Amino acid sequence: MKKLIREPFLHFLLLGAAIFLANHFLSARVDNQPAKIVITQGDITSIVIGFSRTWQRPPTREELDGLIRDRVREEVYYREAVAMGLDRDDLIVRRRLQQKLQFVTDDVGAPAKPTDMELSEYLKTHADAFQVDKRFTFDQVYLDPAKHGERLTQDVDNLLTQLRQHGTSDLDLTSLSDAFLLEHRFQGAPTTEIAKQFGDKFAAKMAELPVGQWVGPVQSGYGTHLVFVEDRVEGRLPELAEVRDAVQRDWTNARRLESNEKFFNSLLKHYQVVVEKIDPAKAEQKLAKAK
Amino acid sequence: MKQTLQTIVICCIASFALPALAAEQPITDAGTLDETSAKEAFPAKPPYSPYAGRNFPTRPFFGDTHLHTSFSMDAGAFGCRLTPQDAYRFAKGEEVTASSGQRVKLSRPLDFLVVSDHSDGFGFFPQLMSGDPGLLGTSQGRRWYDQITSGKGAQAAVDIITSFGKGQLPKGFPLPGTPAYRSAWQEVIKAADEANKPNEFTAFIGYEWTSNDKGNNLHRNVIFRDDGRKASLIEPYTTQPPLGSPNPRDLWKWMAMCEEKTGAQILAIAHNGNLSNGRMFPIIESFTGKKIDRAYAENRMRWEPLYEITQIKGDGETHPFLSPNDEFANFERWDKGNLDLTELKKPEMLEFEYARSALRNGLKMEAELGVNPYKFGVIGSTDAHTGLATADDDNFFGKTSTSEPNPQRATHPFIKTDKATIMGWEQTASGYAGVWATENTREALFDAMKRRETYATTGPRMIVRFFGGWDFEPTDTNTRMPARLGYTKGVPMGGDLSAAPNGKSPTFLVAALKDPIGANLDRIQIIKGWVDKAGKTQEKVYDVAWSGDRKPGSDGKVPLVENTVDVPDATYTNTIGAPELIKVWKDPEFDPALRAFYYARVIEIPTPRWTAYDAKYFKVKMPPEVPMTTTERAYTSPIWYTPGKS
Repeated sequence: MKKLIREPFLHFLLLGAAIFLANHFLSARVDNQPAKIVITQGDITSIVIGFSRTWQRPPTREELDGLIRDRVREEVYYREAVAMGLDRDDLIVRRRLQQKLQFVTDDVGAPAKPTDMELSEYLKTHADAFQVDKRFTFDQVYLDPAKHGERLTQDVDNLLTQLRQHGTSDLDLTSLSDAFLLEHRFQGAPTTEIAKQFGDKFAAKMAELPVGQWVGPVQSGYGTHLVFVEDRVEGRLPELAEVRDAVQRDWTNARRLESNEKFFNSLLKHYQVVVEKIDPAKAEQKLAKAK
Repeated sequence: MKQTLQTIVICCIASFALPALAAEQPITDAGTLDETSAKEAFPAKPPYSPYAGRNFPTRPFFGDTHLHTSFSMDAGAFGCRLTPQDAYRFAKGEEVTASSGQRVKLSRPLDFLVVSDHSDGFGFFPQLMSGDPGLLGTSQGRRWYDQITSGKGAQAAVDIITSFGKGQLPKGFPLPGTPAYRSAWQEVIKAADEANKPNEFTAFIGYEWTSNDKGNNLHRNVIFRDDGRKASLIEPYTTQPPLGSPNPRDLWKWMAMCEEKTGAQILAIAHNGNLSNGRMFPIIESFTGKKIDRAYAENRMRWEPLYEITQIKGDGETHPFLSPNDEFANFERWDKGNLDLTELKKPEMLEFEYARSALRNGLKMEAELGVNPYKFGVIGSTDAHTGLATADDDNFFGKTSTSEPNPQRATHPFIKTDKATIMGWEQTASGYAGVWATENTREALFDAMKRRETYATTGPRMIVRFFGGWDFEPTDTNTRMPARLGYTKGVPMGGDLSAAPNGKSPTFLVAALKDPIGANLDRIQIIKGWVDKAGKTQEKVYDVAWSGDRKPGSDGKVPLVENTVDVPDATYTNTIGAPELIKVWKDPEFDPALRAFYYARVIEIPTPRWTAYDAKYFKVKMPPEVPMTTTERAYTSPIWYTPGKS
């Protein structure tokens, strides 16, 4: 803060602002015509609507008076601030204006409705994004490596033999597993869900396992598992009808980005951009000084 | 100049208070367990099939309830370019380009997300060309409309901007700031509704009410259970008078009005008491100087079932000053001052800022008021202003777009005023919310939040179960399905126990499973808080389960676990710790006449902090004061004990 007060540029700015203000008021006084602030009927309606949207009731007379006083105050400060040029060197204002213009052009640049042909094409070229996950129905039994220690391999073998003899129908799997906080049976679980619960490696391994047979050991981040895949439904690319909304959203978004870029480039054409030679040594000197 | 700017941006809006308005509302209670209702809910003999009749949550859903995008004025000012749509895509596991131009992806998708942009200053975004008849009546307007609807939008845009520059806009052209412009709220609603996919990914509609009275953080995130049909009936509550107010009582009044008028269900989650300078969990209300009354307690209970206990701007469980006997209390502290560092911290403020001391004071206040204002569950979230919900230390994209990975981000001041400085390295890669819901939908997740069946993690997605009841036995840990037993014999986290049966002490079944791709677990602790016979609040930390064969010392404390972190290489090994811990614990010092709460804290083995990953990747040397390892953790919502007639 102290550094800021000593900053000559700040002095310059303040001085400039003072001259500007003085000039502004003096000239206003010369033509003796105060600037006009008109709160129109339309403004008042919009104030009332704004209030009602928040409070679900129209403002009382006092509240409305307060809101209007507030609007006048805002307008006065806004005009004076702009007159003083306070918006010009302000990073926040600049970025906000950039954002605002982007939003305007976002909407303007919004593409027309796509045809089914366009969407089908988009679906085909972006198959990865719309692929329906592989799904598994499976049972799993968990062995905690810490509990089994050196006997782990042997215990895995024994348990596997036992499980293979029984299949799955008449076994209470929970009684064979070590205590475990996840489920023992999963019905039609998509690969992403299995990955969330057991980790990526386990989920990838699932795709390689035979159907209708106890196998193992399969490793997860928790330890060792024996797995019985009862059913596997392969992943597939869905028909357009199934995912139409999602495809259209993505298509629209892609077009929007495209048209934004186009728009920016068309604006850029009106400018000659000069970037001075980048000199890292100089920048560092400045930085050191600032510190 | 820049620092002052940062300060201004961060503190957003300070304003004055409206007169306090109290609304009398009944409070809802979450799952009190008495014997009859327990018997009704769970028949004595379970069905043969262990899966039949099961309707309890089988896995927690992980998400972030607090994320900003470019729709937040301050995020935009820091250079955030990502929209709510981008934020949802990223949370769903897609790779996106961050505002700093770097490609980024989560280690795995989140299950849910709330985009919670600041309500103040978010109504200015434009809507253009809604087919307004007045505008279409002009030849220019008609031409642009046709161009836009036929896919020549860019051409129209150039034309509009040029006309604007020449002052040749048609009459009725919707200028920014007029009601013809769609508000950002509609955009937020649309983004959430589009991203929401029941049973796959939940996108909540929400916003942040950013009360920053005199630079003191009283922020709350407001979350809707319903979809856009109800949420679009209203507009978010702001903090700037005359339309809004910085006083939480006014927010609650607005919430009551909102529910009544629209039928929408909403809740609010406060955060960063550590930056409120003694105002987050008051006994004396800062707005009136008066003692908290019953109306305040009832409303806070009704609208704020949860508290965000950990996030990037520091951890809020407790503070070494408040918990001198807690070895793990000194964790990611932000205790220099209020949010904008315009007022320094004084030790006497701390008691009213941290979750544990608030839970303690709540018990005492309940004895006086009949209602506990601070009976909250906990979640963690990021509060990132980047559109990127990252909480993993090896994938941390910072608080703002300027603190996305770069060689200087750790050693650059984050906030600097003439009073104090918070450095970039003090940002915490934290956290996420764990929610025990029956399914991944808005309704189920919201309801679980309402009943406080939630926990906070500082990033790792560990699974934590915590049940309280009167009859858990040590052998219950051998059960293959701890959850079934937990729900049968007790109440889950966030629940209540009351009226101890004669001669019985409360028992707790607690279990934790490591993150499947994360570090092993060091220990589970149970933290008890209570009001003693003299009316003073107390706390105690018990080690209840731990890895390996460590023996507790004479003070009952288990020695620290080893440390496998290789700092220069930013790695660790799971050769220590345990993948899973489970234990039944009985309160050894229980007095049935005294109010108490219990919650579990799960501690991971030491792992590299994000600063270590930064140092390795950018080949920079961190100053000696920068911590390079961390002990990640999870906090559960408490279970409360209330004395009464049995």
